[in-house]
Amino acid sequence: MAETTPPAAPPAPPASEAPKPKPVVPFSPVILKHIHEPNAHTLEHYLARGGYETARKHVGETDPASLVAIVKDSGLRGRGGAGFPTGMKWGFLAKGTGKPAYLAVNGDESEPGTFKDRHILEKDPHQLLEGVILTCWAIQSNHAFIYLRGEFILGYQRLEAAVKEARAKGFIGEKSFGKDFPLKVTVVRGAGAYICGEETGMLSSIEGGRGYPKIKPPFPAVSGLFKCPTIVNNVETIANVTHIVKNGADWHKQWGTEKSPGYKIFCLAGAVKKPGVYEVPLGITMREFIDVYGGGMVEGRTLKAVIPGGLSAPLLTPEMVDKCTLDYESLAGLGSMLGSGGITVLHDGVDMMSAIYNTMRFYHHESCGQCTPCREGTGWLEKLAHKHHAGHAHAGDTDLLADVAKNMRGRTICVLADAAAMPMQSYLQLFRPEFDKRVAAPEYVEKGRTARDEITPAAKRESVTHGAPGVLDVGMGMDRV
Amino acid sequence: MAKMPAKTLSSEALRQFHDWVDEYPNKRSMLMMVLRLVEEEFGCIDDDAMEIAADLCGVNVAHVQGMVTFYTHFKRPAHGKHRFMVCATLMCALDGNTDQALAQIRAKLGLKPGEATPDGLFSCEKVECLADCDKPPVIQKDDEHFCSMKGPALDAYIDKLLTAEGKTSEQYLAATPVTMDLRVAVLPVHYNFEGEQNVGARRFDDKDPYFAPGEGSENGSARTTGVPPALKTPLTAPVAGGALNPSNAGHGANGTSGGQHG
Ligand SMILES: Cc1cc2nc3c(=O)[nH]c(=O)nc-3n(C[C@H](O)[C@H](O)[C@H](O)COP(=O)(O)O)c2cc1C
Ligand code: SF4
Repeated sequence: MAETTPPAAPPAPPASEAPKPKPVVPFSPVILKHIHEPNAHTLEHYLARGGYETARKHVGETDPASLVAIVKDSGLRGRGGAGFPTGMKWGFLAKGTGKPAYLAVNGDESEPGTFKDRHILEKDPHQLLEGVILTCWAIQSNHAFIYLRGEFILGYQRLEAAVKEARAKGFIGEKSFGKDFPLKVTVVRGAGAYICGEETGMLSSIEGGRGYPKIKPPFPAVSGLFKCPTIVNNVETIANVTHIVKNGADWHKQWGTEKSPGYKIFCLAGAVKKPGVYEVPLGITMREFIDVYGGGMVEGRTLKAVIPGGLSAPLLTPEMVDKCTLDYESLAGLGSMLGSGGITVLHDGVDMMSAIYNTMRFYHHESCGQCTPCREGTGWLEKLAHKHHAGHAHAGDTDLLADVAKNMRGRTICVLADAAAMPMQSYLQLFRPEFDKRVAAPEYVEKGRTARDEITPAAKRESVTHGAPGVLDVGMGMDRV
Repeated sequence: MAKMPAKTLSSEALRQFHDWVDEYPNKRSMLMMVLRLVEEEFGCIDDDAMEIAADLCGVNVAHVQGMVTFYTHFKRPAHGKHRFMVCATLMCALDGNTDQALAQIRAKLGLKPGEATPDGLFSCEKVECLADCDKPPVIQKDDEHFCSMKGPALDAYIDKLLTAEGKTSEQYLAATPVTMDLRVAVLPVHYNFEGEQNVGARRFDDKDPYFAPGEGSENGSARTTGVPPALKTPLTAPVAGGALNPSNAGHGANGTSGGQHG
């Protein structure tokens, strides 16, 4: 057992001994370290930087339970959205059922504003694969599925090539690393459905059906893929496993906060100078992230709101942004969520009615339609948001929005309904005056105008369509105020 | 009783299928990948392709129709040969990025989202987040992925495609575009209503010659590579009858009624 304990002196980074008071440890990217190097996706590149050594060391040698213990110790939390402790999830895997256990890696990455898994899949697929091998050994599964969204074409090609290379090298196969551990890794492609990012929806899709989520419980860890015990984890979560097993739990806990240890990849989009993916220690301030990593707001614009964790996350106003740090607890405290780490910055010119209408259109389009509150509710939210956007909402419509949103929550098979209602509720809470302004006042109606015309004259609206009049009818309805 | 020749898969595609058989716990779970296989093989998923996929995976054709109408990324016959998918979700739509891309496509090809050119060469649609939100607008053209695709880059790309097809922008601007119809027929065209044994998808089990040992298998076990002799005959049951009357075509969502006549 002695050699299974994490190495005492982690090789990287050259920092003072853990555990010291935080946050003094300098951080350099771990998972994204090599993505800017050409050929980082090839096996040679990965082997040259010590790739597959950790898996070789542990597969067939180390007690699987001790690997689960390391991950549990490290405090790693799921990076797919819910932030559930990964080690604990692995511990829930039903044992002794006589059925095979599966690992299903969630590479659907459908949450708008998130684009981190794309970089791992396209630029460093072997890193993910080593994590898959270690995870499979830890949970004693002989078959892993990696589900990619259908739009990831390069990602699929690279991952598929990586699987073939690893198979040819004997890292996966009948005898992985020459040990008595048969392992299959199967890559499945989705085909453009957000709901296949939901874990049970993804399992339905892998099973060869529509991506319909299933009632929980039973949770996948008890009865998942093919009614067998299944662990579902996000691509980034699994990519973390290699580094944690290699460097130890304490190494991981050097960064981050007490309850959100480690580092995470955040995706920055919207009105900042340098949008992109950044891997940062958890617990840094949102301001630092936007101003230092993102280079600050684009010229001539000020911050209006931030969507902190993918489109489903409730908004933050500038005052909340000042108080916010990038960890699960801080965002939960502000009534929002860290989610998948997709941060979108909205500038002062964004018309919030356009934004909410666009958002609701997304959820209405992506609802799988199994549950009435979700199927009908998202439709109602879209219609009512459209009425506000177009400026012909009636007096009670804003309250109706609030009512529909409230009644969608907690009544459905999966949380897509909540994911749609949450942003609506936060827009209503934070930007209620903008809704009210769009309610058609009698004097506008008399003049044959809408409330929207009063706020944004039609001529100005068309200017954002870059000289192609009429496109707004079919466009996103995004206009500037 | 004119027999309709059904399409067949090439031997490479079948070999790929047979390689996959060992990878999956059951045939139904191969469906997502098999649909990709037939999509690549025939260029899009039409009725024949759905029938073949149902055959290969041992499921009802109606089930495959349900899949194809649920997942929006599969290419259907109504889509253009060059299929433009423009991300319309908030991150791309902010600041009019999506609008600009759509306007450019419209100015070049005369297409609004949901439309195709009458010759079926180009089509345009809005899709949801393509996961590259830091470089809007994001556009996918079939298997190609483009970031920050607006302005001169987009114009030049469309021009390149137009030249390759020997078409001009003016031709398309003068023509009336067609609205894409992505519905599936209630039953695939090759359905035989006369012989009951042919109604519904052909069901394969492991005793089926399809999965029997092939010529090239060394250990005699089923499901190895090499095309089994049975596959030299067409996969789909050749059946009588013409194409389904288009007026019978129903909405995809309601199309699950097919296949259970037995
Ligand atoms: C509507 C919806 C969409 C989701 N989309 C994704 C996704 O695209 N990628 C992902 O990893 N998790 C997604 N999730 C979260 C998964 O259900 C699941 O919690 C996650 O994959 C578990 O992995 P983790 O513990 O590593 O985070 C989604 C959840 C919901 C409700
Ligand atoms: S909540 Fe919506 S997406 Fe989720 S299962 Fe129900 S209908 Fe489908």
